Amino acid sequence: MTGFEIVEPESLEEAFRLLDPEDPAVRPIGGGTALMLMMKAQIYKPERLVSLRRLDGRFSGIDIAADGSGFRIGAMTTFSMLEHSPAIRRHLPVIAQTMKTLANVRVRNVASVGGNLAHADPHLDLPPVWVALGARAVVVGPRGERTIPVEAIFEGYYETSLANDELIAELEVPVRAGWDALYVKVTTRAAHDWPALGLAVSAELEGRRIRDLRLVLSAAVDKPTRLAAAEAVLRGAEIGPATLRAAGEAAVAETEIESDSRGSAAYKQHLLRVHLGRAIEALAAKRV
Amino acid sequence: MARTASRNIGQSIPRLEAREKVTGRAEYVHHLRLPGMLYGKIFRSTVPHARIKSVDVSAAQALEGVYRVVTIDDIREAIPHPYYGPAFHDQPILADGKVRFAGEPVAVVLAADPHIAQEAVGLISAEYEELPAVFDEVEAMSSDVLVHDVLKPAATFPDLKHLAGRTGTNVALDYHLLRGDPEAGFAAADHVFEHTYRSQQVMHIPMEPFVSVADAADGRLTLHTASQSPSFVRIEIARLLGWPENRVRVKVPYLGGGFGGKLYIKLEALVTALSLVARRPVKVALTMEEQFFMVTRHPCTFTIKSGVNKDGTIVARTCKVVWNGGAYADIGPRVTQKAGFTSAGPYDIENVEIHSYAVYTNRPPCGALRGFGAPQTAWAYECHMDEIAEALGMDKVAFRRKNLLQNGRPQATGTIVQDAALEQALDQVADRLNWNEPLDRGDGRIRRGRGIAVGFKGITAPTTSVAIVNLYADGSCGLYISTVEMGQGSDTVMAQIAAEVLDMDAAAIKVVHPDTDVTPYDMGTLGSRSTFHMGTAVRLAAEDARKKIAELARELGLPEGSNLPLPELFRRKYGMQAGNIIGTASFIPKYEKPDAETGHSRNATPFWGVGASGAEVEVDTETGHYRITKLVNVADVGTALNPKLVQVQLSGAGIMQLGFTTTEEMVYRDGQLTNGSLADYKIPTLLDIPPEFINEHVDSEQKDGPFGGKGAGESTTIALSPAIGNALFDAVGVRLTDLPLTPEKIFRALCEANGTPLAGE
Amino acid sequence: MSSPRTIRFTLNGEPVSATIMPHETLVDVLQHRFDLRGARESCGQGLCGCCTVHVDGKPVSGCLFLAVFADGARVDTVEGLARGDALDPVQEAFIEAGAFQCGFCTPGFVMMVKQLLKEHPEPTDEEVRHYLTGNLCRCSAYPEILDAVKLASARQAEAARRA
Repeated sequence: MTGFEIVEPESLEEAFRLLDPEDPAVRPIGGGTALMLMMKAQIYKPERLVSLRRLDGRFSGIDIAADGSGFRIGAMTTFSMLEHSPAIRRHLPVIAQTMKTLANVRVRNVASVGGNLAHADPHLDLPPVWVALGARAVVVGPRGERTIPVEAIFEGYYETSLANDELIAELEVPVRAGWDALYVKVTTRAAHDWPALGLAVSAELEGRRIRDLRLVLSAAVDKPTRLAAAEAVLRGAEIGPATLRAAGEAAVAETEIESDSRGSAAYKQHLLRVHLGRAIEALAAKRV
Repeated sequence: MARTASRNIGQSIPRLEAREKVTGRAEYVHHLRLPGMLYGKIFRSTVPHARIKSVDVSAAQALEGVYRVVTIDDIREAIPHPYYGPAFHDQPILADGKVRFAGEPVAVVLAADPHIAQEAVGLISAEYEELPAVFDEVEAMSSDVLVHDVLKPAATFPDLKHLAGRTGTNVALDYHLLRGDPEAGFAAADHVFEHTYRSQQVMHIPMEPFVSVADAADGRLTLHTASQSPSFVRIEIARLLGWPENRVRVKVPYLGGGFGGKLYIKLEALVTALSLVARRPVKVALTMEEQFFMVTRHPCTFTIKSGVNKDGTIVARTCKVVWNGGAYADIGPRVTQKAGFTSAGPYDIENVEIHSYAVYTNRPPCGALRGFGAPQTAWAYECHMDEIAEALGMDKVAFRRKNLLQNGRPQATGTIVQDAALEQALDQVADRLNWNEPLDRGDGRIRRGRGIAVGFKGITAPTTSVAIVNLYADGSCGLYISTVEMGQGSDTVMAQIAAEVLDMDAAAIKVVHPDTDVTPYDMGTLGSRSTFHMGTAVRLAAEDARKKIAELARELGLPEGSNLPLPELFRRKYGMQAGNIIGTASFIPKYEKPDAETGHSRNATPFWGVGASGAEVEVDTETGHYRITKLVNVADVGTALNPKLVQVQLSGAGIMQLGFTTTEEMVYRDGQLTNGSLADYKIPTLLDIPPEFINEHVDSEQKDGPFGGKGAGESTTIALSPAIGNALFDAVGVRLTDLPLTPEKIFRALCEANGTPLAGE
Repeated sequence: MSSPRTIRFTLNGEPVSATIMPHETLVDVLQHRFDLRGARESCGQGLCGCCTVHVDGKPVSGCLFLAVFADGARVDTVEGLARGDALDPVQEAFIEAGAFQCGFCTPGFVMMVKQLLKEHPEPTDEEVRHYLTGNLCRCSAYPEILDAVKLASARQAEAARRA
């Protein structure tokens, strides 16, 4: 981990000049926790790191829309800012719930919302939650700006659709009345571990009937993945053992789960079936 | 126990070093920097078994800031026979023509900046001719794949002297015991049971990773090393160099954890060679990831067979224990013997046969780890005990009590058991679990159960401790010992013992840390031996000092019992504040080497370590996930010399073993370790501590121990794993034979038991 | 391309500066430039907490924190806790509860507990377990650490009542 420079641009224009669309040895750095791990392991050898910490304006801050319909979250917002934001706690309690078992206090104090997404490690806890909430990312680059659903960031294991000189500037997260969400982190080795599977659910329930929902699987697959077939089984359905079983089977059928050190494919598929059902039941129980 | 109140013994005196530790000022080798010091970073083999065709260090050597790249050829210039080890001189300082495990050190880059040294390591490349490799201990017993062509025994320890050089085998040492006639016993028994159990490879994970600094100059060497055995390091380094001991100085400050890992010789030979080659001080500090390649705990396959009568009497038992020693023997042969002779468990059995084998494989080396083999053997014999009781329909506690060794009875070796509170420990656990009360077993998907286990261990012997008590002219006291303070509280307890004899306050005594130029010989801080061995040496040294005070008083013509303060004695003797009184003593307990054929010994161990554990668990039968809702550990520590320190030793050892039981395992693919970091090798955190967690010691006394005390650091590691395994069986009726006890294993066993294979397979 | 750079920051209340390389971490700089040994690298991955320091009042893993980012910040280490001979109440509680063995992880725990008690002056067991789960103690003095947190919290509450 030697032989690189760190630059700290104070404007976006300067940042774009310092980034290089062609050179993977030039990278933006947010909180830097994930990048540091890759550098220490010599998996990544940078020549220039472009720090985003002096960029303010849209890269920082948590703002709620005047009508309460959603949040704008700057990409350099740290996890602990999210965790402790009273507005987020009130309108998106699933975020605080996820934070409780996400890495540790020190990482949450440093890691940034944008860096977490750009890292594209499928084991991260927050990305599936953003997807389940229907969040969109505002991506800026020298060629302009685009707003994409968060799931469109991920292309595979540590792979994103972002160009080398593009930056995630902010997230837009809707707050949908009548919807509720939760994140299930299933670990198989120790209580405090990377998830064997992460399951984020947001749903609009009417009693035990599911009007609409978004189901997202992470960790057991190579990127946070919408479980469209399982959603289709559940959308409009009454919650019951047969429906939940069918949804679990659909989820297993529509995903490719590989064996790894956290469990065999068959076991993780079984966990998916069980926890998908339990998550829906837990959401229903919360509404009662 | 009625004992006169003492201001030292039995008091929970706070650690003498407490302030240094909470303020961050405590000294560890980790922090040490010497003028002109170079950092060494290690290039490691990427294949498990191969001949080295070539190593290309040119690019690394050319990197700006690199001082030198060192291979075994350079080391041979300083040390012509660069092989070391406590039991076998089988480990090369750097790979010598061959690599025997993936992760073995092949070359070292030296640079003043450790980041540059690390960078340069990435520029080294090696070409290998790969050889077939063997990883499993049972396979290695009969494999054509030989890890070593010739076995090279050392002759350092008298108990291992029967090791003889052999060829054509991976068996480094075998230990055998025969008592009575097991075949006849099986033939006559009402029932015969046989089971096989396995323990996995795990690692110590001291939070201060292995680190050593060598400073060689002008025919002298100073080593600053995070070692549990400075005296051994000196002897072994002097042997490697062909120097007298007095030219090698070994200093050890505090250790950031040891647990048996930092024993004997680890990085010391390497840093010594590097410093001699570079003619500069050299530091090698491993990263957390690299620690997994240094030393680990033996995986073990144990087949146990028992003949039992209808009434529950065990009449015969045979044990075949195969220890996976990894690529280098380290102290494995001794584990094989010490844990071998207790592998039939703490039971009074007429006919016993034991075969215990240390086997080489192409894995990272295995050595001592908190329990020295006892946890692996107890995992087998205590699961086996439950399986038998289950089959006989007997209560698990009653079945154990019926067969338990009582004091005064001979253990399998023939050694008469003394001061081993086995029954007390078992009963106390049963009591804390409310064993005779019914348990709420749950229904539906959550099922509950409880389990119990008891075990014992022998203590490494024969070993020597020497202590010096130095009384200064003002009457204050320095205690010079080579026991290493690695968290177990030895500074405090040794000071308590000396203070008790000298009628002082423990906190007033200065404990001088290991420095082989200054502190006398001690075999090592290991295997629960310090309180008993060094504690006795300290007691005797303090008594020697008292005797010398009395002699001085007599010499000065003072009447008996005049009790003149010590400073006054010195003033009368020397006419001013001057002089010393030096009390010294050595201690070596009685020991008889086991007979090479029968394994018998009248004195197999200086004392017995005893531990019993109990657990209550709650299993989610839909997933195999489980919670340990209550965990009880009870140990026999003799008299608790410092109850607070004993308490944290008992609970700490228990939690460590909890990790080895539930989550920890070194996982390999094609001989490559795939989870060698704390991100993927999970050790217990605060979230893993059971909500009800009880750690106690029985009311007992080790009659020949210092003030009734004995070791406490390992006892709660012994019976914990089988207590949990037995509780899981009790809850859901499936028996796991292989550690660790993971949810997936439980779920699979449940599927198998229900005849419903896991979907998708 | 890689060149030294001078950073200025407040270290335990004192303004300081250091000329460092971009690759140096905060724990490197504290150890090698300021001879502060309390924050120490162990796991190297931000998982064990041995390198915990406070940056602008928040605990971070010094081994994953590039020192250049401390430029202009307030950095507090375990060495800044005691006032002369008087230890911080958290340090005292660790001693009284016997909440450590080898001591290597202890400064990191102490620094985390300082912040824990700021955020949760009277934490529940559950809060303590979650807050400190990113700190590893291989000697496993965890039950005693729980005791120490409670002790420190009680002392703090009592001091507040008296004040």
